[in-house]
Amino acid sequence: MTGRQVQLRLGIGALVAALFLAFFAIPQWVSSPSNVGNVILSPLFWPYALAGFTGLTGCGLVFSGLRLGRIAEPLNEAIDDPGAAWLRLAGMAVIMGLTMVLLSRLGMVLTSMLIFVATAFLVRTRHPITALVCAVIIPLVLYAFFAHVAGVAIPQGDFLRLP
Amino acid sequence: MSFLDSIAAGLSLVGNIESFLALFLGVAIGVIGGAIPGMSATMAVALTLPFTFAMQPITGILLLLGVYKGGIFGGSIPAILIKTPGTPASSATILDGYPMAEKGEAGRALGMALWASCTADVISNLSLILFAGWLASFALSFGPPEFFTLILFSLTIIAGVSGDSLLRGALSALLGLLLATIGLDLVYGTNRFTFGDPNMMGGLNFIAGLIGLFAIPEILAMVWHPTAHVGKARSLGKNWVTFAEYRRSFKSIVRGSFIGVFLGSIPGIGAAPSAFLSYSEARRTSKNRENFGKGEFEGVAAAEAGNNGVAGATLIPLLALGVPGDVITAIIIGAFMIHGLQPGPMMFILNVDIIYGLFIGLIVSSAFLFLIGTVAIRGFKYVADIPKRILIPAVLVLCIYGVFAVNNNIFDVGVMFVMGWVGFMMVRYHIPAAPFLIAFILGPLLEDNFRQSMLMSGSDPSILVRGPITWFFWAMTLLTIIAIVRAGVRAVKGNPVMPQDVKD
Repeated sequence: MTGRQVQLRLGIGALVAALFLAFFAIPQWVSSPSNVGNVILSPLFWPYALAGFTGLTGCGLVFSGLRLGRIAEPLNEAIDDPGAAWLRLAGMAVIMGLTMVLLSRLGMVLTSMLIFVATAFLVRTRHPITALVCAVIIPLVLYAFFAHVAGVAIPQGDFLRLP
Repeated sequence: MSFLDSIAAGLSLVGNIESFLALFLGVAIGVIGGAIPGMSATMAVALTLPFTFAMQPITGILLLLGVYKGGIFGGSIPAILIKTPGTPASSATILDGYPMAEKGEAGRALGMALWASCTADVISNLSLILFAGWLASFALSFGPPEFFTLILFSLTIIAGVSGDSLLRGALSALLGLLLATIGLDLVYGTNRFTFGDPNMMGGLNFIAGLIGLFAIPEILAMVWHPTAHVGKARSLGKNWVTFAEYRRSFKSIVRGSFIGVFLGSIPGIGAAPSAFLSYSEARRTSKNRENFGKGEFEGVAAAEAGNNGVAGATLIPLLALGVPGDVITAIIIGAFMIHGLQPGPMMFILNVDIIYGLFIGLIVSSAFLFLIGTVAIRGFKYVADIPKRILIPAVLVLCIYGVFAVNNNIFDVGVMFVMGWVGFMMVRYHIPAAPFLIAFILGPLLEDNFRQSMLMSGSDPSILVRGPITWFFWAMTLLTIIAIVRAGVRAVKGNPVMPQDVKD
């Protein structure tokens, strides 16, 4: 991605977001009492104002993007295998999604152990044994601190109940 | 309450082993966190925050301030030894620090960095003590219109200088302000973007947002490029910095410290511009200017002084006005809020013991930084050997526990993940995260002060320009915009094919 592409994409994204907010999201999801006499004090005023400024910023980004030269160096550092990188990112998204599902079922300790191992192998750790040992110890230590020192009710799950 | 009474009250609050232990531990965590390539002082402060929930307010805040101070110095260790800045502000330290390391003088460079950091830290802390109370007493006369214009000015400058584009900074701040509208309306109590979910009615959890923004993107960056942080550490060498060398650089250190204090007390500028300005001033005025960039220890001293001079000064707007000056102080304001404290001018009246307790803690932190820094320099090779691909899953697990602990709510963990992806996209699109976070924090305050002003005046907008204070902030806001736009236009004219440097 070049600077020009970043600027144009962000500008178009901001314009779309502003239009979405102004014509759909705010009317749909922001409620206001019917007896508000003054528009400036209405709960709708601030979101509409922000949507307007977002639109203006989007216009500015598009305009400045168009003014930038076409020849430009990529902004982000290139990596060897972008396909594998995208796959790893998708894998991380799955791990995060599963975390949300498993937290209430397996409890925080077991879920943390599983996601520790999964993440360590996703980033291709060169220390698999250390990763497995840490995957067991770190969630247990954190459980001990938060449950017994900080007094947080850490979710226990259906399979493992810790003191 | 007299000055001596205030000091006595502060001392009674921090004069115990827990407070000093927390401060010491904080500095140690910060130095290690800042020294680990791929981590940062910001991430270290964000990850330490959940551990402060169970502590007394003063102990928890001292722990975080220790992490902040330690993290800023810690960032210079990998900058000098492996040419990887632990914090953005340490980039200036690389310019002369790494060439010194290449010449086998890494120990000398790190020693000078430590001495300069501690000196700048003391100057910065003294400036905080001197100016914060004065500014707070001045701010007591602020009403809603003054606070509205102050916050607007702060957001403008943060948006303008945080990244390399004013418009991207503005977009970031607007996204933060929009996110802050989620929840019940401040005046009427009606729903705004809550989607009928009770979890959203109180707004999005701030801690989940900031951990998501500053820790999860690092994890995603590691997943994207697992070998990005691999570097080879240089040996320390046999030479160590001498007092004569310190004395020779003293002028640059003091100048850099004051540059740091000045820039740090303006919300949003941060440590990196201060470090570079201090470095360039030192090069301009030094007798050895031809050695700069080739391994001149005065260059290391100046960069580190500029860098650390900011650390105490960023707390001036935080404590006196309730406006966080940078991302780390934005996280620290979270610690205040969690313990039911609201930084700002009223804190100097209602919680003067905490304020002076913090001042005492900050002064002591400079001594701790010197002790721990000396050990950390020698122990860096052990820190550098921590496998990043084990550290990152550990950070993920720590984030989950920490965010859950705020409200005992799994929903917050989901918010953290979503914010993490938002943060990662912001990094990829070069949108600065600082305006986003600070706008998210200040958003409700900005809206509240605006609506209060309108209520006071019967919706007459002229109240927003009612007196010299509001005129001053409006003028500063306009000047900031003009200066940034002019700099952008000059950059486009001077270098049209390098848009990443452009401030539009």
